[in-house]
Order: sequence, then C-alpha cells, then structure tokens
Amino acid sequence: MANVLATNGLSKKYGALQALDKLSINIEQGSIYGLLGPNGSGKTTTLGLVLDVLHPTSGSFTWFGEATGKETKRRIGALLETPNFYPYLTAKRNLQVVADIKGTNHREIPRVLHLVGLESRQHTTFKGFSLGMKQRLALAATLLGNPEVLVLDEPTNGLDPEGIAEVRELILRIGGEGKTIILASHLLDEVEKVCTHVAVLRSGHLKAEGPVSAILSAKDQVVITAPDQQRALTVLQQLPFVESVRSEKSAIALTLHDGYNSTDVNRAMFEEGITLSQLLVRRKSLEAQFLEIIKTES
Amino acid sequence: MNLLRIEFLKIFPYRTFWVILGIYVLLMILLVYASSNIVINGESLGPATYQFPGIWSRLTYIASFFNLLLGILMIVLVTDEYSFRTMRQQVIDGLSRLDLVLAKFYVVLAVAVVATLFLLLLGLYFGLLYSSDKSTSSMFSQIDFLSYYFVQAVAYMALAMFFAFLIRKSGLSIIAFLAYAKIVEPIIHFNLDDQWDKYMPMKVLSSLTPMPGQELLDQLTSPTELLAPQWATLPALCYIGLFLGLSYVILRLRDL
Repeated sequence: MANVLATNGLSKKYGALQALDKLSINIEQGSIYGLLGPNGSGKTTTLGLVLDVLHPTSGSFTWFGEATGKETKRRIGALLETPNFYPYLTAKRNLQVVADIKGTNHREIPRVLHLVGLESRQHTTFKGFSLGMKQRLALAATLLGNPEVLVLDEPTNGLDPEGIAEVRELILRIGGEGKTIILASHLLDEVEKVCTHVAVLRSGHLKAEGPVSAILSAKDQVVITAPDQQRALTVLQQLPFVESVRSEKSAIALTLHDGYNSTDVNRAMFEEGITLSQLLVRRKSLEAQFLEIIKTES
Repeated sequence: MNLLRIEFLKIFPYRTFWVILGIYVLLMILLVYASSNIVINGESLGPATYQFPGIWSRLTYIASFFNLLLGILMIVLVTDEYSFRTMRQQVIDGLSRLDLVLAKFYVVLAVAVVATLFLLLLGLYFGLLYSSDKSTSSMFSQIDFLSYYFVQAVAYMALAMFFAFLIRKSGLSIIAFLAYAKIVEPIIHFNLDDQWDKYMPMKVLSSLTPMPGQELLDQLTSPTELLAPQWATLPALCYIGLFLGLSYVILRLRDL
C-alpha cells in the first residue's frame, strides 16, 4: 500500500520545550490512523507541522510522496484544534470561502451541510452556533472537495453523546469508502472504536505504533493458583497457546493466543496432573493497558 | 483575482468594514463642506476653495489625513484573520503565505480605488457647483493629484498591514501604526538633516499631497525641503514594495 503521509525525524521545539521529538511514522492509504496521547503530548503539534502551519525545528515529511504544496493540500481536508470560521458570516457563506480556497464548486455545499445535519441552520451566523454545531461545520468544511485524506483533531470535542456517536459513525462511513483518516484524540475509547492503526505519544515521544489490535488488544488475563507454583510455571511456559506468563505474589497471570480461553488452560493443567486451586478470568481494561504503554520509558 | 473574490466574500457582509468606510466618507464630506468657512488673515476663503483646478490639490491634502482611518481598516481586517484563526485555516486549505499577503494587498488596492473615485466625485460635485471656471481644461488640468493620492493611500495601508502582520493584535497594531506615523517619525525628522529626512516614509508620503499654499509659506520662512509629488512617487512605490516584502518575510518565518 502506498504511503499517504510519511514523517522522518520530525521535531519541534518551543524554546526549551521539546514538543515533538524525532517522530517517524508512515500512514498507509486506506487506514484510519489514530494519534493517541494525553493533553500536551504533541498530537496537535504533529498535525500543525504536517499541515504546514508550524515550521519544524528539524526533520521532514511528505504527503503522497511529495513535499507539501497547493496540489497536496487539495487532496486533504483538515481541521486543526478549534473550528476556525468568520463569526459574522453565515454557515453557508463560510463554506463558500473554504470552497473558493480549495477550488471546489459551490454546488457541493448543500451536500456536506446535509452530511453533518446543518442544512436547516445554513443561514445562521457562525457566532450563533453552539460548540457542537461549530464542530460539525468544521467537519463539513473538511469534506468539501471530496478529499482523499481527512485530518481531524479531536473531532468529537464539545459534542453531546448523540453527536459523538454520529461523528464516529460518519468517520467510519467515510473510512469505509477507502479514504484515509488521521485522527488525533485523547480518548482511548474513541481510537479503539474507530481506528485501524494507532501511534501513542507522550511528551513528544512516540511510545508505540502499529495496528490497534496489536497495541490496544484488550486481552483478558487468566489468573491461576496451584499448590505447586514452581511446577505450574514450568508447564505453562511449554504450552503452545500461552502468550505470556507472569508470576504474581501467590498466583500466576497469563495471556493466551486468540481462540483460546480458560477452559484450555484448565484442561492442559489437569492433563499434566496439576489441580488448580483457583482459576479466574481478569478483564483487563484498555485504560490500564494504555497507562502501561504511556509509563514505559524508552 | 480569485484571491480578491474570496476577500470580497468575507468583507461585504462585515459591518465593521462599512462603518469605517462610512466614517471616512462622512468626515470627508463634512470637512470639504466646512473648508470654505476657514478664515485666513481675517478673510474667509469662501468659494475660493472649490475653484478648478486648485480643488484637486486641496481635496487630496484634506484626504491625506484620513489615510490613517484606511490604515486602521486594514489593521482590523488583517488582525481579524489572526483572532479568528482563519489565517491558519486558509493555509491548511491551500493558500500559500504569499497568497495571504497578496489577497490583503488586493483589498488595499480596491479600497484605494474606491477612495480615489470618491474624491473624484466629491471634487466634481463641489467644483461644478461653486467653481467660476468650469472649462474642461481647467477642470482636469491638475487631476494628477488624484493619482498621487492613490499611491499615498496604498502606501499608508501597506504600512498598516505590515504592523498588523507583525503585531497580530488589533489594538496594539493601531497604536504602533499611529505612533509611528505621528510621533516616532516626526521625532526622527527633528534630529535628522532635511537632506535625508525627505526620504523617510512618512515625509515621502506627505510630499505626495503637499499643503496648498506651501510655496507662499516657504517665501516667508526658510523653505522646508520636500520632494515634489512626481519625485516622491518612486520612493513611495519602493516603500510599498518594502512593506509587502516585510509582511511576507514575517509570515514565512513565523508559525501561524
């Protein structure tokens, strides 16, 4: 698959603050790529750099294998931080301005307004909009010109639960059309629900990157206790379907490969002549896993 | 010209824009109307002010004071783009930094055209009403003052634009613009030889619309060294280019 965006050692310093440190990622065509991290981790800085509004301190990036310019920008629809519009202009007029800059026909405006459910408010001025409506208008603006790539910075910020669900559904639908979506979010749950790939950032450092299923697999842990802990450990390490084994105080925690569950563990142990005194499945929360990634020092 | 069309889309529904232009128009009409009542040496000027062709130099001299208003208008338009963060959105959507400067410069040109045309109408109206000599030759013989005024208005707005791009906050930019035009440069003039300060930006610009009757004053006092309007045009154009270039460099170097 072709790369849509590739960054190479991208860094940004604000005085003494290293906002982004040598970020190198590749975003493949057709993926929904999540930039995940707490506030101030460098997500918006990353997007600001690749969207040509910030100057990198060092490093480089390419869109579709080219340097950024009018041609590449035409293929990208992007929303950075807050919705940015003229407060005294109506929603429709604001979109006309965007359409003219992008070189898009004004006839597309009703379609994108309809997509975000704002067609009844198109003659309201932007300053009269609620935060949720502003966010939707920004989303509509990114859709103008039918771009191949959408870059969305916290797109569900300020929306009510219904709005959040709608926007996520919209993202998935657009992603389903084969478009590439780059999404920055501090909401773990959002990234897990929407994205195919994820990069985890903390204080400007890339902590982990890869398919969501590999990075954020919320795999259950099986916790067992056996009278002879030592022997149980040796046996477990030889079982083919056990992914990892960790010995806790008086118990052993393990994760299993896909398709196996606690029954398999129990059966295998019994066959080896070990009777378990305790067997329980511990649901591991995404949050716990995320915190683990964030805390690891690289 | 697509850039100018986009600017018009943004400006036409903007009330502040029309209010500032309206103030310009009203103040001009008021001042031109009142200028016939000015008393010099115990003698009312009366309809003498409206005589062709001298009306053009008098009109542009009066108008030159209101260029500050046009400058403030440009500062508002540029700093708005910063406070609404639309400057940054426009770059994201596909404009280059050069486009940003050019778009605003086209607005400057458009406003200057409107202001100059307004002066033409104003001059024709008062002239045809009060001038004793209404022949075409005298009517248009000094019409070139309008073109000097055009250059002056563009230069004032280009300077204002530069301050707006540099400072980004409307209030501070306006203060810096007024302070430079009315305080800082005059102080520099005091400390500089006339030979040099006639090339300073504000002095060059004011040379484009010399005070009517300056020649008379010069006979009484020691003459101030000023460039003739036709000689001030080239330096004025250079300053316009400089302000635009600096605006571009600022955008180029800074994060948006």
